[in-house]
Amino acid sequence: MTQFLMFLINGIAIGCGFALVGSGLVAVYRITGVVNFAQGMFAVVAALSATSFVAMGIWHGLAELIAISVGGLAGLITGVIAVGKRGTQPLTALLVTLAVGFLAYAVEVLVWGDHPRSLPGLSGRIDLLGVPVQRQYLLVIAVTAVVFVLLWLFFARTYLGKVLTACASNPYAARVVGIDVTRMAFIAFALGGVLGGIAGVLIAPLRPISFDTDVSLIVGGFAAAIFGGLTRPMMALLGGVLLGITETMIRAYGNASFATMGALVFLLVIMIWQAARRPTVHKESV
Amino acid sequence: MRTPLPVLVGIAATAVVSLVLPFVLDRGGLALYIDVALTACVVVGISLLMGFAGQVSLGQAVFFAVGGYTAAMLVLSDVPALVGLVVAPLAAGVLALLLGIPLLRLHGHHLAFATIAMHLIFLVVVRQFDSLGGSVGLMGIPALSVGSVDLADHQSMALVSLGVLALVMLVAHNVVASRPGRALRALATSETAAESAGVPVGRYKLLVFALSGAFAGLAGGVWAYYVGYLSPGMFPVSMSITFVVMAAVGGMGSIWGALFGTVLVKVIVSYLGTLGTASGMPDYAPAVLSYAVYGLLLIGVLLFLPHGVVPELRDRTARWFGRGRPAPSAGDTQNGPEPDAAAAEPEPSRPAARP
Repeated sequence: MTQFLMFLINGIAIGCGFALVGSGLVAVYRITGVVNFAQGMFAVVAALSATSFVAMGIWHGLAELIAISVGGLAGLITGVIAVGKRGTQPLTALLVTLAVGFLAYAVEVLVWGDHPRSLPGLSGRIDLLGVPVQRQYLLVIAVTAVVFVLLWLFFARTYLGKVLTACASNPYAARVVGIDVTRMAFIAFALGGVLGGIAGVLIAPLRPISFDTDVSLIVGGFAAAIFGGLTRPMMALLGGVLLGITETMIRAYGNASFATMGALVFLLVIMIWQAARRPTVHKESV
Repeated sequence: MRTPLPVLVGIAATAVVSLVLPFVLDRGGLALYIDVALTACVVVGISLLMGFAGQVSLGQAVFFAVGGYTAAMLVLSDVPALVGLVVAPLAAGVLALLLGIPLLRLHGHHLAFATIAMHLIFLVVVRQFDSLGGSVGLMGIPALSVGSVDLADHQSMALVSLGVLALVMLVAHNVVASRPGRALRALATSETAAESAGVPVGRYKLLVFALSGAFAGLAGGVWAYYVGYLSPGMFPVSMSITFVVMAAVGGMGSIWGALFGTVLVKVIVSYLGTLGTASGMPDYAPAVLSYAVYGLLLIGVLLFLPHGVVPELRDRTARWFGRGRPAPSAGDTQNGPEPDAAAAEPEPSRPAARP
């Protein structure tokens, strides 16, 4: 039983990582209608920068914060390239974010080489109702909870959040009332970069990160985000946690090599089920 | 369809150059030639899929791999190599058909993501099968031979690859020029409009997906005979994405564009690869250079030549000769990634024929 609870908490922590990557996807999709395939890259860039900053002797915490802002910057640059040009359609922008991912590979390999790096996190375990839990896992869960509450407050309670939501629901009307939709799209990408960056620095102590880790991160993040139809952050959190638990349980009690496959099949089944429920409703050229 | 003279001359010149090249290239050149020809087979399929069915597949390397594994398994169990080349496209095509039934219900980015997922699942599954060599892969695949004629050397393989590419392009051309081909062009412009004009949208999308899978499978089969070994590590997700890059660069929905895009990207990457491995360069230089090229080319073409290089050139030359269609207006960009169906062929687009 203790062991099961331990796996459960590990699963929730891993799922929180997916949910954070997914929340970045949701933030960008909600506002721009673009699925940002570079989202995993933000996490990788932040994690790799954090390892460099720590190696330079910058305090833990501060190093992570700087790394997260590097993630935000990467997000902003991606946004400028992907949606900065007028009239870029969402599917074109999707391919552009893939291309930005390729460019980022070049930069990452140039700066950090192609070997995986890891980041020291919180060490040790604490006893939680008789269950030993790694402190880093608790940190991941706590930060995720805070981030999602802030994200909810941001979208529901702040003026900027409402402006962003307006851009998402009707870009034309938003433009009519004087909102600079392009600038809002850049803010969305930067926000996505920050969220991805948070995910990156939290995950890096749990698993080594190399330039091509972004594929597995984006897959997990997308699976989480799709759970909420790519627009609802809280559903993305739920999806991410479910996915993390499923993966951990497959790894613990089944065949470890099928863990990722479980996530993918989960993702496909949900997408196809969603598509089958509303077979005729889809937007042209999206 | 009346083909203008300059186009005919261009096609003839391309054919002659392609036939002469295998006899003048050195070994490295021949390897690049074979790589280009086989990759172009896959890219023609993607170009049809993206340009005519309006679908994007970021998992096309799966069908390439399936073709390769099919041909390899057959020839390793003493089936004649030629049979492998017939079964490889069939196997890949049938797999694409079966996967397409659930996957093609998805649209746009959902589909793009689902095909990446399909690729990742494929890699997991292949690693689990000991009969496919698991992670280590299949070694010692015999070279291609027909009867007693041995086609193992680079020059013969280059000619075989050229033949395969010619076959793929011929099939693709006939599909495009056929009546269903016109329906497909309507489909790429607007699925809803095509559907209401009576085009069986779902069935056609599925058939193009299967056809593109079969093209990839055929190329994969030849490739397996050429390189002589296969392992899951040879089919990374980035391979699938580079196929899309080449199709987008050349021009979606254009067969010659697919060929041009492949040649352009492969030659640049190969040139930079040589540059990167030159003495004094760090060992990661080739990887960095090729990633940078794929990224920059794709960004540049998507943003500034949304129809791709070949359709753009065709439009410009047509305008130059003064008998072309009017220039695509700014409003055309509203079509975005859905390539303007009319831009794909040098003839005025007609409304979809009722099949």
